[in-house]
Amino acid sequence: MPDRIKNDHTSNGIECNEFDLLLSDALDGVLSGPELDRFQAHARTCKTCGPLLAEAEAGRTWLKGLTEVEPPASLVNNILASTTGLDTQRLRTMARAPQPRVSWWEHAQASFLEPMWAIVRQPRFAMSFGMAFFALSVGLTVAGVKPADLGQISLRPSAIRRTYYNTQARVVRYVDNVRAVYEVQAALRGIKRNITPAEPGPAKQKEHKNDTTQQPEQKQERNYSQTGEKLILASAPLGPSNRDLPVVSVTTYRRFV
Amino acid sequence: MEDVQVVAMLVRRCIAGDAAAWEEIVQTYNRRIYNICYRFAGSGDDAQDLTQEVFIKMYRTLSSYDSSKGAFVTWVTTITRNLLVDHFRKSKQDRMTDSMDSTASDHEDAQPLSEQIPDQSAPPDTRVRQREVSETVHHALGKLSPELREAVILRDLQDMDYREIAAVLRVPEGTVKSRINRGRAELGRLLQRTYRQVM
Repeated sequence: MPDRIKNDHTSNGIECNEFDLLLSDALDGVLSGPELDRFQAHARTCKTCGPLLAEAEAGRTWLKGLTEVEPPASLVNNILASTTGLDTQRLRTMARAPQPRVSWWEHAQASFLEPMWAIVRQPRFAMSFGMAFFALSVGLTVAGVKPADLGQISLRPSAIRRTYYNTQARVVRYVDNVRAVYEVQAALRGIKRNITPAEPGPAKQKEHKNDTTQQPEQKQERNYSQTGEKLILASAPLGPSNRDLPVVSVTTYRRFV
Repeated sequence: MEDVQVVAMLVRRCIAGDAAAWEEIVQTYNRRIYNICYRFAGSGDDAQDLTQEVFIKMYRTLSSYDSSKGAFVTWVTTITRNLLVDHFRKSKQDRMTDSMDSTASDHEDAQPLSEQIPDQSAPPDTRVRQREVSETVHHALGKLSPELREAVILRDLQDMDYREIAAVLRVPEGTVKSRINRGRAELGRLLQRTYRQVM
């Protein structure tokens, strides 16, 4: 473009500067008559403006071929959320507006009942409730409690007290019986031990020292953060000739990075 | 484009606190603003963020709109353009630290823009090809300088007249026309080279 302006010249009655101004009008189709003729004549003869017209026309065609893009579906909601969250005149005006009065029942319904009902309506809640009912009914059946019996329960204080004492006596009897059984079992075990000969003791653990298939090896301390100031002795066999091997002191240094 | 009185009434209702009026403004102009931002910024995510920023700014400064000074759409487009310029300035430093490929277009002796656009061979499916052409044009548009880009976007994609564009860009109409011509020519040169083999 700067080159074009530098080499500005007159051709067919109009200059390149004028051609540049008329170019957009020509592409918009608003040029007509002798002005259009002069414009076209200049485009045919000028080596700079002719290609410029062709390129601009092509560029315009490409741009016109671009279609509008669809904004994301959430855009409007995001805009409304981001704008109505601001402290503006509009919000202050809305805050000053009188609010309709609501009764205590509507208030309770809105703040407590509706959220609760929303939870209850969830399928997982229904499933949990069903499972709990099933577990309760199975438990009562196993315990021998019949629903018909529940109706005959007396809730008078004397009846409750009697039920409490009966239950306590039943538990005490049960514990006494269990204790008697355990004592008999212990006595029988003692008799049996006295009758049978002594069995050999279990094999020493030392024998299995190198057997790694039965027991896991004892954990070794592999903490590299410990100081290495200990004496480390070489585990050479202590034969008669090696009995006087010198003790080597090995010191490790912690690397500071 | 818009009925001045209707829009003025809408703005007055919105200033008075009518939420429905504000929602109507958002519904009416979000597509236009998003498209301007998308074509200028080049990315959908950036366009979404910028569109939200435009509406936040509109919301805050709605009372400053004077219908006697110009059309509402011009005012909206001016806000959009100013935000885009700010965004461009903010991200300019980031782009300068990008690879040489992305900055080469700023230099005279750089590799021709057409060679930076991948030459995509035409697939058999026309719809796929149209989409690819559209993406290529969009990519080429991003290679134009911001001054030329905004001018051709407002003229050829938003169909604004020269007077409105001059008001938005705050430059004379002659400068607007010159920028549009240069932007179109550069884009045409770029894409003609790219698709020379296909065409």
